[in-house]
Amino acid sequence: MASVETPSRSDAPPAVRLRGIGKRFPGVIANDDINIDVARGTIHAIVGENGAGKSTLMKILYGVQPPDSGTIEIDGAAVTLGSPADAIKAGVGMVFQHFMLADNLTVAENVVLGAERLHGIGAAAREEITRISGSYGLGVDPDRLVEDLGVGARQRVEILKVLYRGARIVILDEPTAVLVPQEVDELFDNLRELKAEGLSVIFISHKLDEVLSVADEITVVRRGTTVTTVDPAGVTARQLAELMVGSELPSPSTESSTVTDEVLLSVRDLTLPDPAGGRPLVDGVSFDIHRGEVLGIAGVEGNGQAELVETIMGMRDGATGTVELAGTDLSGRSTGQRREAGIGYIPEDRHRHGLLLDSSLWENRVLGHQTRRPSVSHGLVDRAAARADTQRIIEAYDVRTPGPEVPARALSGGNQQKLIVGREMSGDPVLLIAAHPTRGVDVGAQAAIWDHVKNARRNGLAVLLISADLDELIGLSDRIEVILRGGLVGRFDPSEVTPEDLGSAMTGAGSDAPREEGSP
Amino acid sequence: MSAPAVARTPAPRVRRRSPYTYLAVVVGLLVAVSLLEVVTGADDLTSSGTISATLVATVPIALAALGGLWSERAGIVNIGLEGMMILGTYGAGFFGYHYGAWAGVLGAILLGMVGGLIHAVATVIFDVDHIVSGVAINIIALGATQYLASRTFVGLPGGGSTQSPTIPSLPSLTIAPVSDGLQGLEQRNVFVISEVAAVVRALTTNLSALTVIGLLLVLVTYLVLWKTTFGLRLRSCGESPVTAESLGVAVLRYKFVAVLISGAMAGLAGGFLAMVASSNYRDGQTGGRGYIGLAAMIFGNWRPGGMLAGSGLFGYTQTLGLRSGRDSVHALLLAVAVLALAVAVLQLRRRHVRAAIGFAVAGVVVGAVYFAIDEVADDFTRMTPYVITLLVLGLFSQRLRMPAADGESYRKGSAG
Repeated sequence: MASVETPSRSDAPPAVRLRGIGKRFPGVIANDDINIDVARGTIHAIVGENGAGKSTLMKILYGVQPPDSGTIEIDGAAVTLGSPADAIKAGVGMVFQHFMLADNLTVAENVVLGAERLHGIGAAAREEITRISGSYGLGVDPDRLVEDLGVGARQRVEILKVLYRGARIVILDEPTAVLVPQEVDELFDNLRELKAEGLSVIFISHKLDEVLSVADEITVVRRGTTVTTVDPAGVTARQLAELMVGSELPSPSTESSTVTDEVLLSVRDLTLPDPAGGRPLVDGVSFDIHRGEVLGIAGVEGNGQAELVETIMGMRDGATGTVELAGTDLSGRSTGQRREAGIGYIPEDRHRHGLLLDSSLWENRVLGHQTRRPSVSHGLVDRAAARADTQRIIEAYDVRTPGPEVPARALSGGNQQKLIVGREMSGDPVLLIAAHPTRGVDVGAQAAIWDHVKNARRNGLAVLLISADLDELIGLSDRIEVILRGGLVGRFDPSEVTPEDLGSAMTGAGSDAPREEGSP
Repeated sequence: MSAPAVARTPAPRVRRRSPYTYLAVVVGLLVAVSLLEVVTGADDLTSSGTISATLVATVPIALAALGGLWSERAGIVNIGLEGMMILGTYGAGFFGYHYGAWAGVLGAILLGMVGGLIHAVATVIFDVDHIVSGVAINIIALGATQYLASRTFVGLPGGGSTQSPTIPSLPSLTIAPVSDGLQGLEQRNVFVISEVAAVVRALTTNLSALTVIGLLLVLVTYLVLWKTTFGLRLRSCGESPVTAESLGVAVLRYKFVAVLISGAMAGLAGGFLAMVASSNYRDGQTGGRGYIGLAAMIFGNWRPGGMLAGSGLFGYTQTLGLRSGRDSVHALLLAVAVLALAVAVLQLRRRHVRAAIGFAVAGVVVGAVYFAIDEVADDFTRMTPYVITLLVLGLFSQRLRMPAADGESYRKGSAG
């Protein structure tokens, strides 16, 4: 896999040329000597681990942050991008990973906001939106409230916003992180339309299969610098991943079975009614997990896996059925008591449930363990011990941070997740619930988290693993249950099942499974 | 993944009510009240005097609510409306007495804006908690006006430490032929026709210029906030300031301006109280109308039309309580009972059995009270607007949608 020359159309200047871009933050070198050429009419992927400096680079290109060194050329002309407004003027548009949309405004209002001079805010603007939507196949209705739109449609609104401002270079920051597979396909069709119209797309991702399927060129970023630019036809996902990490990759597959016949978690007839009156969110779920066993739950997002986990954790009201942990009935216990009884919980959304982003790492370490040593003694927080124990987690779990005093927000997603895993494992749990433990983390952290799950299993924990990554489920689990419309509908042996089998079971094998949680 | 394209279900579009809907609501209300009048014999429910008084009671609440609307649409909670109104009453008293009626109006606006300025500086620039700042303004405004009044009004003719001299009155509109011509029709008590005549008479007799301005401001607010670029940007600051900033909107500037306008509206509301509802500044004149305005705004779901309806409801019930309250409020009991029973039937059809039973019981109890007593004691008539407000807010609160980033602190540079 040799580096390729930019397949530019003869001597036309590249749409974007970055030379020697550098950016430092206190204590961190985010970017160092970045060199990238993006040709007109191509989809250019930038891949790298979280924390490799991709996002900083894109913020520089969109004018959010100024670079400390280096030059940016757009269509052959050197530009200085001091603000997003400059970038927009230069024809650069950005679709953020976290959508920048106001829910209670209509699509049209969201699109014209800040660009009212172009076509006003009335009928002319709506006409233009409909026109753009039609010519790129975006299918966006200007009069709908953004609140009512699904994730895929919101993303199309974001793309439309960028096009409305006349962008010729569209940056998408991890656009597929929030999408279900069909939506990803639709997005890629949209991107190919953009490419066909002569626009350049810069696509940031760490989902390598997707990158390989859609990109014309791939630039690998590692530790703030560009490693190489490759042609997707000449590399495999594994080779790309090794370029990103800079070393050989582990795989999720487990070693020999450690399953015993001692039941640690026993769930019986767990049901969670829908407060809105629809069908139950969790419907009569029963299963056992044994000491040293990993139970994987596969399912299309929104089929009750999040509710199942939250019911086991005691976070949902109105549930019926029993949850028994190592012989103790947990029914009627609060979430805190359940944690104390020995449940470690890696929540699906670490920003909403896992961390206080603006609190320091050691304060986050105390959370959930606020009744237990070493963080707390005699009812008071023992700062010194909490800090020391956080330091232990930082070292044992390879959390890359300057120290326990920095706010959690300053860490990359992978490092935040490693901190959570370390925290959850520190109370000597007997059950580990891991909901999408590697979602949104880079390959390096992913491998580390897989190792921690394997360790937990080897140390005799029961593990409940929820994941949308079927390879991860098959690789780590001793047994896989498929959840559909809140009920368990199939059991598979991971040593025999293929992702395709799982996929068809997850959608109800031909029956019309609901893709989204929706009212009937 | 060869799944079929995601079906795009036709989800609800933005509701656009035609003006006829509003007209139908108004006519429907008029018919309902006429009916109530016929059934109960409480003549004062729709007399032109009641309607005039309702207008005078409604406009200051609506102006305060407008103040809240401007501020909260930009994401700043303004519980200091009451204080800004108090400043407005003093401004009207001082400038009105010394420099004439229109100067009084400007003075009220100006002093309201001073309150708005304090709130804006505190919340927008220094990121003080909105509630803390608002409450502080309410306390400061009360003390400051009492102090200023004792320094500036004592010794003036009719003035004192708790009230200003009489302010010259603003021009008012009377179309004598219409007003006099309809008098007969109104008094003849023809079903609905007399009620319409009463409304027209109220609008053509002694209608203060400030009332007209106040009602126009509701319309202007709607047009500015929903039909202009400025309004779109301002609202985007209340919905998602991060989004707005990422699109080049100077968020803090819009918030600042919005709170200033909010103060101006609240000040004008205070000025209205001093100059139209009364004829001079008096201590304690606002009587909590700033808070009622806030409630009216919430009732109106942060929209001008709804907020005007909320203000009208409050103004009307307040007026009834103050005029021949014993009869009128008594008649209202019947309306409440019928309404509660109607809601009960509605809830039953939606299979909300428990709610249906609750409403049915409430309806029967209120109905029983109506038939058990002949008139409502004065102690209770004065409570009416507050009880009604509580009831209405309790019934409707679940469907409300406040600006998404309302009350949240925002620092520049959060985007990206």
